[in-house]
Amino acid sequence: MNERELTARVKLGDEAAERALYDAHVDRVYWVAYRMSGRHDLAQDFTQDVFIRAFERIGDFRGDAPFGAWLHSITMSVVLNGLRKVKRFDQREAVLEEAGMVTSSVREAEPDLKERLAQAIDALPEGCRVTFLMHDVEGFTHEEIGAALGTTAGTSKAQLSRARAKLRIALADFAGDWIQ
Amino acid sequence: MTDDHMNDQPNDAIQDERIRALAAGHYNAPDGSVPRDAMWSQISAARRVARAGVAPVAAIAPAAEAVEQGTDVIPMASRRRTRTIVVWRWSAAIAAGLLLAFAFGLKYGQLSNTTLPVKTAVNTPATPKRIDPPLGAPEGPSPSPTPNGGEPSRSPRQNPATHPSSEPLAPSVPRDLASADTAATTLYRAAAVQTLMQAEAVLTAYRGVEATGRDPQAMQQAARWARDVLSSTRLLIDSPAGRDPQMRALFTDLELVLAQIVQLSGTPLQDSERDLIDRAMRDRDLLPRLRSAVPAGSATS
Repeated sequence: MNERELTARVKLGDEAAERALYDAHVDRVYWVAYRMSGRHDLAQDFTQDVFIRAFERIGDFRGDAPFGAWLHSITMSVVLNGLRKVKRFDQREAVLEEAGMVTSSVREAEPDLKERLAQAIDALPEGCRVTFLMHDVEGFTHEEIGAALGTTAGTSKAQLSRARAKLRIALADFAGDWIQ
Repeated sequence: MTDDHMNDQPNDAIQDERIRALAAGHYNAPDGSVPRDAMWSQISAARRVARAGVAPVAAIAPAAEAVEQGTDVIPMASRRRTRTIVVWRWSAAIAAGLLLAFAFGLKYGQLSNTTLPVKTAVNTPATPKRIDPPLGAPEGPSPSPTPNGGEPSRSPRQNPATHPSSEPLAPSVPRDLASADTAATTLYRAAAVQTLMQAEAVLTAYRGVEATGRDPQAMQQAARWARDVLSSTRLLIDSPAGRDPQMRALFTDLELVLAQIVQLSGTPLQDSERDLIDRAMRDRDLLPRLRSAVPAGSATS
């Protein structure tokens, strides 16, 4: 049974079809949610919300685009709203100030590149962070990001450019090694 | 991604690619397995709740089919809704009637005080033996009150003192102050009749609830209903309709019993409280008096 048939059966209230669609997409949704939140409990909550909302609104899915694309737009909406609710935005804004200090700090103080990278990404403004993760890590297009964030593709490009610039600065100590 | 590096330095693309790869591999990267079944149990539970939320609509369907098939099955929820609508319609009608009556009373009462100062005393019989129903209503074979349907000799303009309460329910257009006062009295009486009908229904409903298991919800519904009728009753006590001693006594007794129902029905009734209400109704012979005061056929109007 292909995805179009599955969605048609879900619209009729077929629970087995719901489960089949869930199995096909849950990993991707879960890991995107985890990538954005960094917490398994939040990723679990977000994933559940995504599928509940998707099944509730399955009538809105017209089948013009792949179900996965439609589902991931819901995913981004749920995740971003969820992150706002847990007030991680404010925490990251506060950490942003520390990002500049990280840039000027000596390399020996924080030798772990992975940790520095994680800190730098967390320190990004939320729009930049989300855009960077969605585009560069998860592979969404600027149009999809703009739609999910309620902005334009141009805004998404600008956010991505800012994010990359900040990350380059934050990880400048490692730049020589990478280029070589 | 090619147009994303148009304004960057040559090495920026390399750095960006390294950062991207590093982030994809290490920043909140997937670790472990996805708790599929745990999440699905939550999702399916939520879906079941959502489906259950739609269920009442489906549950009505069999009843609707039964109605289509000609069986007299009406869902309980529909009955309650209908009864509530009826109560509110009655309450609105009573309130509108009382307001209209008070407006007439204020307007013409002031005028009549200047021109006919002893009008009220004339209108009230000294020793009324019974509550006079509207003209032609209670005793004749045709119970419906007939507006302006009485004999010409019983016109209120011709004999207002001896037949103050035998006015038809629908007043004629007043031509002078006397007829205006009569019209106001008629309106008060119409409001009184409606209130008494409501009161009879409330008391009957209360006794029905008492007799059939004392459902708390039904009891509270009766109490709410009684509260509405109590308000109208208290207004009527102080209105010209309450000047009739017999009617006033009926209103006063009704007020007492309704107040008891309102006060006591909010909580589970004790046996003594139920006895109190029952005794008050029985000692005052309330329901028979209400039924005799309400003209036959008024309930269908």
